[in-house]
Amino acid sequence: MSLASPRTISIPVPGSTLLEVEHLTVTFPTSAGPVDVVKDASFRVESGDTLGIVGESGSGKSMTSLAIMGLLPRGGTATGSIRLNGHELLGRTDREMRRVRGDKVAMVFQDPLSSLNPYYTVGLQIEEAYRAHNGGSRRNARTVTIEALERVRIADAARRVDHYPHQFSGGMRQRIMIAMALCLEPDLLIADEPTTALDVTVQAQILDLLAELQRETGTGMIFITHDLAVVSQVAQDVLVMKDGAQVESGTAEEIFSNPRAAYTRALLDALPRIDDPFDELKGAAR
Amino acid sequence: MTLTILRRVLAAVGVLLLISLFTFLIFFWLSPDPAVQICGKTCTPERIDQIRTQLGLNLPFWEQYWQFLSGIFTGRTYGEGAAAIDCAAPCLGFSFQTNESVTDMIVARMPVSVTLAIGAALLWLLAGIGGGLLSAVKQGTGWDRGVMMTALAGISLPNYFVALLLQYLLVVQLRWLPFPQSVTFAEDPLLWFQSYLMPWLVLAFGYAAMYSRIVRTNVIDTLGQNFMRTARAKGLDGPIVLRRHALRPSLTPVVTLFGMDFAGLLGGALITETVFGLNGVGKLTADSIAKNDQPVIMGVTLLAAALVVVANMLVDVAYTYLDPRVRVKSA
Amino acid sequence: MSTVPSELAVETEPKGVLPTGSAPTPARRVITTLRKSPAVVVSVCIIVFIVLLAVFAPVLSAITGWGPYDYDPSAIDSDLGGIPIGPLGGISAEHWLGVEPGNGRDILVRVAYGARVSLMIAVSATLITTTFGVIMGMIAGFFGGLADQVISRVMDFLMAFPSLIFMIALLSALPAGNRPALLVLVLSIFGWPYTARVIRGQTMSLRNSEFVEAARASGARPLKIAFREVLPNLRGTIIVLATLAVPSYIGTEAGLSFLGVGVMPPTPSWGQMISTAVGWYAVDPMFFLIPGTFLFLTVFSFTVLGDNLRRVLDAGDAAS
Repeated sequence: MSLASPRTISIPVPGSTLLEVEHLTVTFPTSAGPVDVVKDASFRVESGDTLGIVGESGSGKSMTSLAIMGLLPRGGTATGSIRLNGHELLGRTDREMRRVRGDKVAMVFQDPLSSLNPYYTVGLQIEEAYRAHNGGSRRNARTVTIEALERVRIADAARRVDHYPHQFSGGMRQRIMIAMALCLEPDLLIADEPTTALDVTVQAQILDLLAELQRETGTGMIFITHDLAVVSQVAQDVLVMKDGAQVESGTAEEIFSNPRAAYTRALLDALPRIDDPFDELKGAAR
Repeated sequence: MTLTILRRVLAAVGVLLLISLFTFLIFFWLSPDPAVQICGKTCTPERIDQIRTQLGLNLPFWEQYWQFLSGIFTGRTYGEGAAAIDCAAPCLGFSFQTNESVTDMIVARMPVSVTLAIGAALLWLLAGIGGGLLSAVKQGTGWDRGVMMTALAGISLPNYFVALLLQYLLVVQLRWLPFPQSVTFAEDPLLWFQSYLMPWLVLAFGYAAMYSRIVRTNVIDTLGQNFMRTARAKGLDGPIVLRRHALRPSLTPVVTLFGMDFAGLLGGALITETVFGLNGVGKLTADSIAKNDQPVIMGVTLLAAALVVVANMLVDVAYTYLDPRVRVKSA
Repeated sequence: MSTVPSELAVETEPKGVLPTGSAPTPARRVITTLRKSPAVVVSVCIIVFIVLLAVFAPVLSAITGWGPYDYDPSAIDSDLGGIPIGPLGGISAEHWLGVEPGNGRDILVRVAYGARVSLMIAVSATLITTTFGVIMGMIAGFFGGLADQVISRVMDFLMAFPSLIFMIALLSALPAGNRPALLVLVLSIFGWPYTARVIRGQTMSLRNSEFVEAARASGARPLKIAFREVLPNLRGTIIVLATLAVPSYIGTEAGLSFLGVGVMPPTPSWGQMISTAVGWYAVDPMFFLIPGTFLFLTVFSFTVLGDNLRRVLDAGDAAS
């Protein structure tokens, strides 16, 4: 567990996995005593691969990603080990984490409308992210921004870069968030329920876009969702969480064809199938 | 865009007209007969009637109202012949008790009210916004509690009480300040400053208390917004995040509030001016009410309302520039 | 890549949860939470004390032997212009909070009777404005359309009025009569829009919530929906508004009495007492300090209570 200087975080330890989480526990103090919202989670993500984390609300999936970013809400503490390219992230100062955030690990959130500042243009918000890590002139940042918008297929990017978030549709806003995340060329992208707030058709487009961008850049991805159907489309590996605990993990094929935990089975059973008899739905997800 | 502005202007004018009508109506019914007041001791019914005709008081209500309204734009003449009194536009009325046009009286006293308003505004913006920010950023700490306690006290203390208290402590007991006096800046800058200091403090205290509470709430709300999380997730520096992303959403509502409050103060701080003996529009109002000088009361009421309505309109327009979501959507 | 509809999701986070759309926080939980805050406990104690003072003013008068209008020339020194004899404005076993200079009236008893008047006016005005404001706000928010237009215009109009000036002018022009009733009337006329505006806003957002739609779909009549579905969810807001309205009216009434247009002498009122005290403030500061402190403590306590109620009710809504 080397607490190397921030500069060396940029250089991956040779032979290391992109992300390695071991025995991660996140605790919050409550009036009823400390509560573990994430209990002893362990998983890894390889470059170019996608890990899907599935669970209901309150399962701890979002907290896991916030722990990786070092953005736990006030009062939360994380123990265990989170290694990015071989470098330990837990225990770093906020200053050190700031270099990691956005640049090495980027995050896309669930609700793109509230996740963008309504008072500033989307261009400005992407530019500031770029310049915070790469410096340079405003003009350069603007060029990069427009390119990023074009890559996520925002039409007429050169003009729309000066528009405000409320002037875009939900799907486009999510693309903008993705553009903002990817313009910094992070090693790892965490997408926390990126399609939950979107229409079904738009959802498909976003998933396609993410997959394509991932192929182009080789970014590793953690895809957090409650939606099993979505997971089946995007992830190579799946992690199932319930009440903070890791219920089951494995490749997508393993989980879907041969679930071992009762909870996982119950989740899968809750998905209606075309060959189900009409009069009966197998056990509820609880 | 211009269409919306035009509509707002029309609405504002409408409200003003209504207020003027209402005010005129109330005082038409309630005020004692000015003719009697002017007539004085040696009065005869004929003389009263003469004065009434001269003042146009025998005309039907609507004609009187019309005369009043048109007088605002074109000026008015009271009476005829040798005893005619000219009231230049904008004529807000004529005070027969003091023999001056209301407009002149107000204009003479405006500088005091404006000085009071500006000085207090500077103080309360500084204290209010600063205090609110401090409280919000240091939420839960002793700083937060301290500032909020003070703010709570500030909104619970009536300003005449604070005025008395301050005057008792600073002037009578500690003798740090002299009794406030009516001097202009040109005559004696130091005394001018010393005379305005306590009224400024008293006014500012009340407003600062209110503003710091509002700013604190706004900033805390903003800090909990999702886009703040995004800003941090991008790896932005703490102070930058605060300054760039938190201030605008938090302070924009305060701007609109400030516009209204400031405009209200320009119409005279009645209580503060009375307590400190400052000869501003507020004191004029209080004195006129005590003397039952109806034209003055009417004029000041209309002016105060106009200021607030205009401020409201300006603030609305300003808001469309400050908040992108309110602007006309394109694409 | 197959596209599977996301209705097959395990469990969805409720989207767009309204802050006021959840079940009302049970009263017991509110009280337990509030009891833990020392500020609230102190404030409630002060309020209770003031209320008791007001209610039992005649009893207090009987105990001390002084009525609110009784002069006591022995307590003041007429040679020195009527200054109270004794320290701190004439505090003694006879007069627990001293006497008024010039006439020797017992301050404690006058403060108690003043509390009566102030509380009565403030509470009456609060009741009227809250009731009227809720009704108007709900009509405007629920039915929208023409009703909303009319009510909103009236509210805007009333709020644009320089109300202080108008109230003063109105009150000074009207004959003496029943001053407190007049004050309640004037305060209510200008006070209800503030309540109504908040209620209107909340009603409008509640109108679009799911349970109202469900009620509508089940064929319930609008009035019934309004009372059964919307009103209970406004309960918290109404309580907070009312609690914060009381100190506002106490303050306004005190201000009007201070200016001489509110409660007329000899009926005591805290604002009026402070007004009289202006002439004596340099030599007998207690005369303005005592009613002022009572005024401050009352307004302060109600505000603290209202603030904390709002905090607890907001948190309760958010938690559920």
